[in-house]
Amino acid sequence: MATTLTKFSPERRNWLRSISGIPGTQIVIPIVVVLLLILALVGPLIAPESQVYRSDILSALAPPSSQHWLGTDEQGRDVFWRIIAGAQASLLSAVAIVTGFSIVGILVATIATLGGKWVDEVVMRVVDAALAFPPIIFALGVAAALGPSLNSAIIAMILTGWPVTARVLRGVMRETMSQAYVENARVLGVSRTRLMLRHVLPNSMDVLLVKWAGDIGNTILILGGLSFVGVGAQPPSAEWGAMVTSAKGIIATAPWAAFAPGVAIAITAVAFGLLGDILQVRFNPALRKR
Amino acid sequence: MANNPKQQTAVFLLRKFATSVVTLVGLTAFVFFMVKLIPGDEARVAAGENATPEQVEAIRKSLGFDQPLPVQFVTFIGRLLHGDLGTSISTHMSVAQGIQQVLPQTIELVVLAVIIVITVVTPLATLAALHRDGRTDYTIKILVVISAGLPTFWLALLLQYGLGTKAEIFPISGRLSRGISVPNRTGSVVLDSLLAGNPMAAWDGFQHLILPAIVLALPFGAQLFRMLRAELVQVLAREHLTVARAKGIPQRQLVTQHVLPNSIGPSITLVGIQFGAMVGAAVLVESVFGLVGIGSYLTNAVAQKDTFAVLGGVLVIGVLVVASNFVVDVLQLIRDPRLRAGQLG
Repeated sequence: MATTLTKFSPERRNWLRSISGIPGTQIVIPIVVVLLLILALVGPLIAPESQVYRSDILSALAPPSSQHWLGTDEQGRDVFWRIIAGAQASLLSAVAIVTGFSIVGILVATIATLGGKWVDEVVMRVVDAALAFPPIIFALGVAAALGPSLNSAIIAMILTGWPVTARVLRGVMRETMSQAYVENARVLGVSRTRLMLRHVLPNSMDVLLVKWAGDIGNTILILGGLSFVGVGAQPPSAEWGAMVTSAKGIIATAPWAAFAPGVAIAITAVAFGLLGDILQVRFNPALRKR
Repeated sequence: MANNPKQQTAVFLLRKFATSVVTLVGLTAFVFFMVKLIPGDEARVAAGENATPEQVEAIRKSLGFDQPLPVQFVTFIGRLLHGDLGTSISTHMSVAQGIQQVLPQTIELVVLAVIIVITVVTPLATLAALHRDGRTDYTIKILVVISAGLPTFWLALLLQYGLGTKAEIFPISGRLSRGISVPNRTGSVVLDSLLAGNPMAAWDGFQHLILPAIVLALPFGAQLFRMLRAELVQVLAREHLTVARAKGIPQRQLVTQHVLPNSIGPSITLVGIQFGAMVGAAVLVESVFGLVGIGSYLTNAVAQKDTFAVLGGVLVIGVLVVASNFVVDVLQLIRDPRLRAGQLG
């Protein structure tokens, strides 16, 4: 597994390439990701309220122009500014979801690792069962109980996201636990809690980070999908999935209103997905040779 | 323990089957308790919004929701074993029956999507692996990376508009064109048309499925591509292939007889997992293309706050996922004798 040593390994040929082999992505992708995150933080602040929510029937369904860069929707709201404002609902929600289920995953993996053979067996059966759920389906169930809203979508996705993280982390943790130095530390009487906090968890951080980045890409796609089937963000939210949904009725007259937010989702999903790949190659040089 | 290979295989399969059953029981428990943990009163939902508190209590009693949780769980399992998924609160129809009507159509869509995934990805991954780090490889990779990031529902909408409404190449939505109908036997439109001896209807039904299947296939295809390409690259670097090349075995034969058979192991497992995941992802695609299926069934159930229908649908999908994983395990066993030896110890 990757240790801190490998991060400083001199063997860094090809560092301009990500694992996807596209030259330059190692620089471009992190920049795009940072820009997206900044946008998610300040988006609603810089987007003029009047353009985002107030309807203006006179300028409805206007094609892209110098005044409305990406055109307007059926209520005359500016598509460009809505996308800027919606970055928060889309991207920050995804960040919250992935962070949330990562924490649950860490807890479950820790329990499985420290709990002994039987606890591990039981926990892993539960993980297997939980893995059998397609997240969208489960989110539908949660939304049925909680009522459709962005918050129920977030809760549902935290509840369905953790099993994969738990399973991957458990593998890493068990590997660390079986290392000679951990055995030695145990013989010396180092407590399990301390072992966990000082050695096992830090050793899992790189795997976690890789998964975190990749998961955000997937999460933003599913979150948009949930809005689309009506159990996620509700109108007049400018969440990107909700924007596509509200524009589906006017696709023949104003295709830009549905097209642009979808592109925003795609850019974000691709950027975070590639970031995951880049981090993976950084942390695990063995992959670079492939 | 059994000594001859046949008995060993039987023991292995039984063990796998037992694991599947345990997972299914776990799954049922998981669904059940998750639903119970989620805030919200089922009895209130079942009684309807305008029910008086007394009516809600009466319904709670009649549905058994006043019993302690473990008792409710045992009753729930007991009913499940009889194939009873409960009665839909909104349609007052048996949930099992409702699902039976729509499931074959989803399966039909998913099977076509899986076929698309396999037939498109295999040559692409082979091409990319053979030209590793070359221009072809990069081009294919960029396409794959982008297609994995496209939101399914959005792409469906655009294709429907572009290829359906504008270019009129494909039908926009629904399962069959107006004026065509086939008797319902299996629930699968294409199969029913063929059974009724109506190839034109089958073709029409197939055309209605192509766009949804392509959209459904795309993200899964990207996933499979990554795995198959990585596996192919590894196998291509093995020594026996250098020997085979040195002996002058033509490229085509090399790939089809030596490289691919040695590379598809993990991909078969992935496709099995994908089959289940696709049933779940079909929700979005069915919604855009106006198809009837387990997805639209669940979406409606959610809109109606129909807890039993949601629970039943989720469980059926869970069963499909576990079943497809089991089938994949068996396939691997048939395909790879080493696995048999290894697993049996």
